[in-house]
Amino acid sequence: MRVRFWGVRGSLPVPGSRTERYGGNTSCVEVTSAGGTRIIIDGGTGIRRLGKELMRAEFEAGKGCAHILVSHTHWDHIQGLPFFAPFYREGNQLFVYARRRDDQNLRSVFASQADAPFFPVSLASTRAKVAFRELQDGAAFEIEDMRIATARLNHPHIATAYAIASDGARVAYISDTAPFTDILFGQEFLSGPPSRRPQLSRGDKTRLRAMAGAVARLCEGADLVIYDTMYTTDEYRQYPHFGHSRPSDAIAVCGAAGCRMLALYHHAPDRADSEVDAMWSEAREQARAQGKTLEVVAAFEGMDLTLGSG
Amino acid sequence: MEVTFWGVRGSIPSPGPSTVRYGGNTSCVAVHLDDGGILMIDCGTGARNFGISLLAGAFGRGQGKATVLLSHAHWDHIQGFPFFGPFYVPGNAFTVVGGSQGCELLERVLEQQMAAQFFPVQSYRNMGAHIEMRAVWDDGEIRVGSARIVAHPNPHGPTQALAFRVEADGKALVYASDVGYPAGGPPASTVAVYRDADLLIHDSTFTPEDRQRRVERGLSSVEDAVEAAIRANVRRLALFHYDQDYSDLDVDQLASRGRLQLDARGASGTTIMAAAEGMTVRL
Repeated sequence: MRVRFWGVRGSLPVPGSRTERYGGNTSCVEVTSAGGTRIIIDGGTGIRRLGKELMRAEFEAGKGCAHILVSHTHWDHIQGLPFFAPFYREGNQLFVYARRRDDQNLRSVFASQADAPFFPVSLASTRAKVAFRELQDGAAFEIEDMRIATARLNHPHIATAYAIASDGARVAYISDTAPFTDILFGQEFLSGPPSRRPQLSRGDKTRLRAMAGAVARLCEGADLVIYDTMYTTDEYRQYPHFGHSRPSDAIAVCGAAGCRMLALYHHAPDRADSEVDAMWSEAREQARAQGKTLEVVAAFEGMDLTLGSG
Repeated sequence: MEVTFWGVRGSIPSPGPSTVRYGGNTSCVAVHLDDGGILMIDCGTGARNFGISLLAGAFGRGQGKATVLLSHAHWDHIQGFPFFGPFYVPGNAFTVVGGSQGCELLERVLEQQMAAQFFPVQSYRNMGAHIEMRAVWDDGEIRVGSARIVAHPNPHGPTQALAFRVEADGKALVYASDVGYPAGGPPASTVAVYRDADLLIHDSTFTPEDRQRRVERGLSSVEDAVEAAIRANVRRLALFHYDQDYSDLDVDQLASRGRLQLDARGASGTTIMAAAEGMTVRL
C-alpha cells in the first residue's frame, strides 16, 4: 500500500516562503493498493496537483478510476475538486463517498460548490462519470482489494474517519476531530468555548465515549494513523469550540491502539515550517516519555510512504 | 493613495516553491486613502494576510471601518472572506459592495459560502463585526469618504465582473480583473473608465498563446492588458491574476513580453510591472 500526501494544511491554503517545506495546500491524501486500486481522501487544493499527475496516465485517456472519500464538506476538504482534471475527461469513473445527511443529499452539496455564481463549470457539465455514495455512521465496505471502515468524528457538522486495509497494511485517517472529552459537536453553532466545565450531560458523555471507542477500533494495530493535530495545547485552550485536536490527543489514541506510526496532519495556516518542526519534536518527546514505540512524523506535501507488502 | 497587493493569483491558491516570489494567494488588493479610508478590492485568500496586518491597529480594537469591493463572486475573489480576521471583531464596521444583480444575490452568495455544510461559522452574521451589503448598479457611482468610485461591468466568459475606478487625492486607480474582451479589444465605454489612470491593475492571466486555447474562460492575456493600457493612456500598468500553473519565471516573462510590446507600440512612457504579493505602490 502506498500513501502519498498532496495537501496537509487545515482551514485554507497558505502559499508563501514560511510554508514551503511542509506545503500550503489543504487536505488531500492518496492511498493506492499494490493491485492498482486508487483511493483519494479529501479534495482540498492538494488534489489539483494529484489530478495533473493522474492525467499523465490512464486518466488522460479517459480510462481512469478513483474513489474519493470525503471526511466532511468544509471548504478545506473539497475546494480543490473543481480543479481536479480527471473530472473533465469523458470515460473516467469517479466515485465520491461522504456521510449521509438528513437535510441535503451529497450531490446537491457538491453541485452548489460548482454552481454559478461561484464557478464557471457546473457539476452537471463534467465529462467523467461521477457517482455519489452516501455513508451511514460506522459503515464498512469494500473497494476492489481494499477494505474500508468508518467512524463518526467529533467536529462541527460532523466528520467521518476512514480506515483502509490492503496488502497486509492498514492506514487510518482521523481528520477533522476534537478530542472526545470536552464538547460534543453536532449541527449547532458555538460562538465560543463552553463557559464553565464540566457541563456535559451524562448522555453526551456516553456518546463521546462511544465515539472514542469506535475511533480506537479504527486505529487498532494500524501501520499509519493520519490525525488532525491542528492545535498546540495553548491554542486548544482558546479554541476548543472549533473542533480540532492536539498532538497529545493523537498520541494517546495511537498509543492505546498500538499503532506503528502517527502522522501529524492538518497543520494550522499560521504554522510556519519551523513551528511545525517544533511541534513535531515535542510530540516525539512526548511519545518517547510515555514509553511508546510509536513513531511520530509531521506530514508534508510530497511525503510518500509504502506500507505492508507494497 | 497607497495600493498594496495581498493576493495576485487567479482561479485557486497555488502554494509551492515555484510561486514564492510573486505569491500564490488569490486576488486581494488594499487601498489606503489619504483621508484614512480603507478599501479592500476582492477577497481571495490574500485577504487573510491583509486582515492580520489590520488587526495590529484600530481593527484589533473593534474601531475599524472599511469598504469591501467585490468584482464578482467566483471563488478566487471571495474565498478569503471567512478568514478575514477583522470581520470577527465586534465594533468593526464594513460595507460590502457587489454587483448589479442586487444586494439579495450578494448576501445569498456570501451566506452560502458560510453555510454549515461548508464552514463552521454558519453565517456572516455570526462573525461579530457589523457587515452591511450594498449593491452598485452598472456604471453606478459610490462615495467612500473623499473617494469617488465607479463600477463598470466587463465581460467575463458567460458572466460579468466589475471593474472599479477609484478617484481620490487627485489620482485615479483602476482595478480590472477577470475580463475577456470581445475580438477587437476593449470597447470605447471600457476605455473611458480606464482613461488616464495613474495605475491600471489589469487581468493578465495568460500568455497570448494560452489565452487562445482558453478563450471561453473570459480572461485576458498580457497582450490584452497592454492593449487596454495603450488605448486608455494609463501611466502605469500592473499585471495581475496569473494562472495557477505559472511559476515565478513564467510571470517574469509575462512582464518582459509586456514591456517589449509597449515599446514596440511607441508607449515607452507607460510603466509596466508584474504585481507581487506584499508590493506597495504610492500614487
